[in-house]
Amino acid sequence: MDEFELLKKDWKKREASLPKLSYQDIYKMILKKSSSNVKWIFIISMVELSIGLVFLFYTPAYMEQMNYLFVDVLSYLAYPVIIYFVFRFYTNYKKISATSSVKGLMDSILRARKTVKHYIIFNLSVIFITSVCTSVIMYVKKQGGWAVYKQHSELGDHLILMALAVLVTALMIGLCLGVYLLLYGFLLRRLNRNYRELKKMEV
Amino acid sequence: MDKDLEHRFITQLEKHQNIVHKVCRIYTSGQDEHNDLFQEITIQLWKAFPKFRGESKFSTWMYRVALNTAITLYRKSKKSVRGDHYEHVLNNLKYNEYNDEEEQQLKLMYDAIKQLSDVEKALIFLYLEDRSYKEISETLGITEVNARVKMNRIKSKLRTILNP
Repeated sequence: MDEFELLKKDWKKREASLPKLSYQDIYKMILKKSSSNVKWIFIISMVELSIGLVFLFYTPAYMEQMNYLFVDVLSYLAYPVIIYFVFRFYTNYKKISATSSVKGLMDSILRARKTVKHYIIFNLSVIFITSVCTSVIMYVKKQGGWAVYKQHSELGDHLILMALAVLVTALMIGLCLGVYLLLYGFLLRRLNRNYRELKKMEV
Repeated sequence: MDKDLEHRFITQLEKHQNIVHKVCRIYTSGQDEHNDLFQEITIQLWKAFPKFRGESKFSTWMYRVALNTAITLYRKSKKSVRGDHYEHVLNNLKYNEYNDEEEQQLKLMYDAIKQLSDVEKALIFLYLEDRSYKEISETLGITEVNARVKMNRIKSKLRTILNP
């Protein structure tokens, strides 16, 4: 007999040694809370979505003082974008179902994640623009305002200004990215590996 | 109404619980992890049950949810310790149960299955459960041809592990 047929036969035979749960055991189980991946992905995504909102609604005091147009324009532009992301995330999340096929489930989780990923990229770009502008403005202000800066500035000043802007931005983005990769690397490593394997089968 | 749903669900799961136990056997090592995964599958089944329309068989539907939970949704809890392969259970196997050559070979095969990837385990599990290729392909979300090709590869992979 083929070794796999033998295995199949044995597999059936061993059903006898499976544990047997009672009606009560199962009843107790359905009262408990899930600790699935998707629940964690949902929680983290919600935190991310709200961090973006806080960032938009809250303007730091020093920025308010500066009262620059770009901050306002940026905020107003960002509202519809954020609403769009929250809506997309919600509809994507609703589609995640344990009754899909294995690949379908992975697809829907990754799709929901992708929305949040795009949202993060959007937020990081906003952070990038604001921090470049803020650091430039702060620096110039410290030098005594635009007029003074323009009059007395040399190449060295411009270089310091640029370096400062790049440094501040890199620090902020690095921090966000670090947290982000840590969180999802941990949660999605296994899913990504399995998804790649299923994808590879299609080639 | 809810009570009725609850009752129908528990009765069905009690009747078909073997499927869930078998998925747990393939995907976990150790009794704690087995129970933990069984618990999570039960919750996922219960959450999905209101949408179960009975178009497919309850058992077919269970294979999907159980495998989805084991492969994608389940997070191993920290308390379950890995590495107790030999105590456990792919099939409650103990060495002394294997006295002749045939059984020794089975033991080796079960050990080899343990080394497969999550997706490969799903395929071999559905094969052992005598599911058709149509059902296997629908459960995994791949085409029937790809399911066959992959199954043959797994079989030869297992043969290589067995006869290096």
